[in-house]
Amino acid sequence: MVHFAFLDWFWVIAFVILMTVCGILFYRLGKRSMADFFLAGRGLPWWLPATSVYATHTATDTPIWVSGVVYQYGLRGLWYTFFSAWCAISAFASTRIFRRSLAYTQAEWQTLRFSGLGAELLRGWIAGWQVFLNMFVLGWVGMAMGKLCNYLFGWPPWVALVFFSTICAVYVLAAGYWGVVMSDFQQGVIAFLVIVIVSVWEIGIAGGPQGIISKLGAMGQSWRLNPFAFSGLTGGDFPLVWFLTMLVIAVIGGFGMGTSIDWYPEAQRIQSAKTVRDASYSIWSGTALILIRNSLWGVAILGFFVLYPNIQKTAQYEMAWYKLGFEYLPVGMVGLFFAAIVAIHLSTISAHLNLGASYATRDLYHHYFKPKATEKELVWVGRVSTLILLIGSFIYGSMMKEITQWLIFALWIMAAGIWLPSILQVVWWRFNSWGYLSSWIANLGLSWLIVWVLPEFRLIPDLPDYLQFWIMMVLGALIYLPITFLTKPEDMDRLVKYYVMSRPLGWWKPVRLEAERRGLVALEAGAAKGGN
Amino acid sequence: MSWIKRRWTAAEADRWTKEDYLTFIISPLIYLLLMIGTALSLLLLWYGFLLLGAGVVLLLFMLWVIDPKLKAISEDYEVKQKQYLEDLEKIARWEK
Repeated sequence: MVHFAFLDWFWVIAFVILMTVCGILFYRLGKRSMADFFLAGRGLPWWLPATSVYATHTATDTPIWVSGVVYQYGLRGLWYTFFSAWCAISAFASTRIFRRSLAYTQAEWQTLRFSGLGAELLRGWIAGWQVFLNMFVLGWVGMAMGKLCNYLFGWPPWVALVFFSTICAVYVLAAGYWGVVMSDFQQGVIAFLVIVIVSVWEIGIAGGPQGIISKLGAMGQSWRLNPFAFSGLTGGDFPLVWFLTMLVIAVIGGFGMGTSIDWYPEAQRIQSAKTVRDASYSIWSGTALILIRNSLWGVAILGFFVLYPNIQKTAQYEMAWYKLGFEYLPVGMVGLFFAAIVAIHLSTISAHLNLGASYATRDLYHHYFKPKATEKELVWVGRVSTLILLIGSFIYGSMMKEITQWLIFALWIMAAGIWLPSILQVVWWRFNSWGYLSSWIANLGLSWLIVWVLPEFRLIPDLPDYLQFWIMMVLGALIYLPITFLTKPEDMDRLVKYYVMSRPLGWWKPVRLEAERRGLVALEAGAAKGGN
Repeated sequence: MSWIKRRWTAAEADRWTKEDYLTFIISPLIYLLLMIGTALSLLLLWYGFLLLGAGVVLLLFMLWVIDPKLKAISEDYEVKQKQYLEDLEKIARWEK
């Protein structure tokens, strides 16, 4: 339990009021149209979606996760967080292509890139899955806040889950994405400053940089300072092949759309930027801030390690950053620290409330239920969807203990085997909707077999995650590639329209030549010699 | 540096060129340098500052390479955006 003085409570209450009012102020802008309620009218300068990217991906469970991997693996643990580097290439490849498509959501993009029944099935599937996933994330993050407040104040976990998510819903319901992005800006600034202050303070407590280095040396743990301290090519707790697999997944994944679960919130930020250039810079710089933030945490956790080197229980060392902050910060700063935690929590909750509602409104209600709906009606459907997501998150949050393992597995199977198809749909004209759809279905079956069923019956050994990834990628390709070639290419009219609008990267030569023949794009110099 | 093109027409900027490919290589490297450089600089290790400095220099170089092209793409595209948005609404509303 932590004791809060008057000054501590002052910070918390002042910040909660500031964040909520800041969101509500944009009520008039949010209600103008669906484009305003979900994309802030597509008119934001790059630094607003950038801070939103940063704030959304700084949640209450993020320092818990980073603390866990750095305490366990030293600075090598930072590579677990490097998966977000997919934005390095995405910012200048798939972001550019997606922004030019103007699709509200990734589900909508499927009907621009593909055509016919396959495209509609993909749109419906991705929209439904995103509504579910956002509800799950809201429950997960809300319960992380519940556990933290239980640790700090002894509140039952559901109290913080319901209280903070409801506060957040007030400004999301009122102003939609305008409220999200404007609150994210001040929440992101507050959170980053406090993360810097608290982490530097924690490094000081551990003896400063020199103290940490010398204590690690005396403990025979200097390897923790080396981010490249591999345990061998394939063996040990940090093999080189894991590192290389991670680099491939993260970096090459940037050519695709949906190669990372984080793509979906980023896609909304991309479309809210006022130009292609603003979209690129927002994604790139928001992610750069995330990686720098992880480094700050990483060094603070090294400091925690030299103070508490023998903790065996994961649940204890995962709380390292919070523990140092709440135990060692002076009166007044503890409240500031907690206010920053509330800021990072609200930013994540607001983003997922609005994102889930965008799929429910644009892709399910508008496209499938009432295509002739007015803008006013769509804004109200957005609000009702937000409310449904909020209530759903309370139910998921209360079930979290029982379903966590299942859902982690569900997230894994939704991501691993569709990595390559998510790139192919962007870079290869011949990849069609049936190929992509079959990759999702194949991945569902294969991941159950490889990750769970076959090891359970001892038919194959328990495989390391990097090996599971490569096996699922190859086996999945053996299914979706034949299906792609056995089914017709997408309608050429649709492909040409998409090409002219988005100018995709990769193997699009037949489509480009057709677009040139129709006079829709300028003839490329030396086109006869080939090219993309 | 004449190898890097810094004046673009709209049609030229729409194509994927060596400036883009160079950015694809540099950009992940900058992330890596910023992340590791920041951590090691916080520990006051000299090579941490070196890595961080290299990351910042490469970042400036990347912007120098890609920014003129992104500007040209954006300026040209915003002109066409209104028509594309009308088409998008037709798809959402199942109109031909």
